[in-house]
Amino acid sequence: MEVFSDFQCPACKTLYITTNRKIMDDYVSTGKVYLIHRDFPLAMHAHSRVAARYARAAAQLGKNETVEQALFQNQEKWEQSGDVDGTVAAVLSAAEMAKVRALVKGGTLDAAIDKDFALGQLYRVNQTPTTVFHSGGQTYPYAGVMSYDTLKSFLDQLLSGH
Amino acid sequence: MESSPLNLRRAIIWMGRLILGGIFVYAGFSKLLMPNTHLWPMFVLKFSISMNISSFAQQVESYKLISPEASQVVAHTLPFVEIVLGLLLLIGWRLRICATAITAIMVGFLAVVTRAYFLHMDINCGCFGTPEKLTGMTVVRDGALAALALLMTIFAFLEARQPHPWSAPEKA
Repeated sequence: MEVFSDFQCPACKTLYITTNRKIMDDYVSTGKVYLIHRDFPLAMHAHSRVAARYARAAAQLGKNETVEQALFQNQEKWEQSGDVDGTVAAVLSAAEMAKVRALVKGGTLDAAIDKDFALGQLYRVNQTPTTVFHSGGQTYPYAGVMSYDTLKSFLDQLLSGH
Repeated sequence: MESSPLNLRRAIIWMGRLILGGIFVYAGFSKLLMPNTHLWPMFVLKFSISMNISSFAQQVESYKLISPEASQVVAHTLPFVEIVLGLLLLIGWRLRICATAITAIMVGFLAVVTRAYFLHMDINCGCFGTPEKLTGMTVVRDGALAALALLMTIFAFLEARQPHPWSAPEKA
């Protein structure tokens, strides 16, 4: 499943906190489902692209989950202040943060974000979050937030081969 | 047999039935089947409807008028109520009751979108299945539909007091 998400979108936060974290524990860690985060920063959100850059930089250090969690959990704070850097710095060591800042300043991360965005447009993603499921040669894009139980039932059906 | 004279009152009742009935049926189905419209196999359809209802519940919640639990109740009932009332209005069964119910719902919609508009809430209106920003046009549209519903209801009650044009004249 590919999750097209925007760090500044409240519904993306809800999906991450209420559903996808449990999915990672129950389905991704056990190897049943492969989950890919795709950046789809919407133009209406002033800081979402910056947040995406920090998350991508952290991912290169293997700290994606830590930073993703910090960004979503403190969304209201950095959305108001614009202090994405401070939010990320709070969960990384000084050495890690220095590397993250260097990567963010390097300006090479935008190409990957744009690639995700272009892929989303190919799937006709027009709102976040949108989750695209791939199973048995079929592709099912779903816009919106689903509860864990609803998604669990759907994934179980997909995994059972219908 | 004479045909029913189409006076202004009847014309507005017909317009109201067709426009409001059609819009209510569309609004109900769109909330259930949009924006996720994968219809087959059955578990995929079930997931689509669950997702769409869940999205609608969030839109209801975003008005910050009722609790998340109450929003869930509204999201799970309103689309079906809209479909049933819309169909009943289109076929004209119990016209005065259905028209009254639709007017009450439209006035309710108008009140909540007007409140959200004047509070400058940056939300989707939740009127139909696809996301649609709540703007001044939403208020104007709901106002026009509420006015049409009100007129239709008043005229339906007034018409019910008149003898039906096809009925035989009373013998002296």
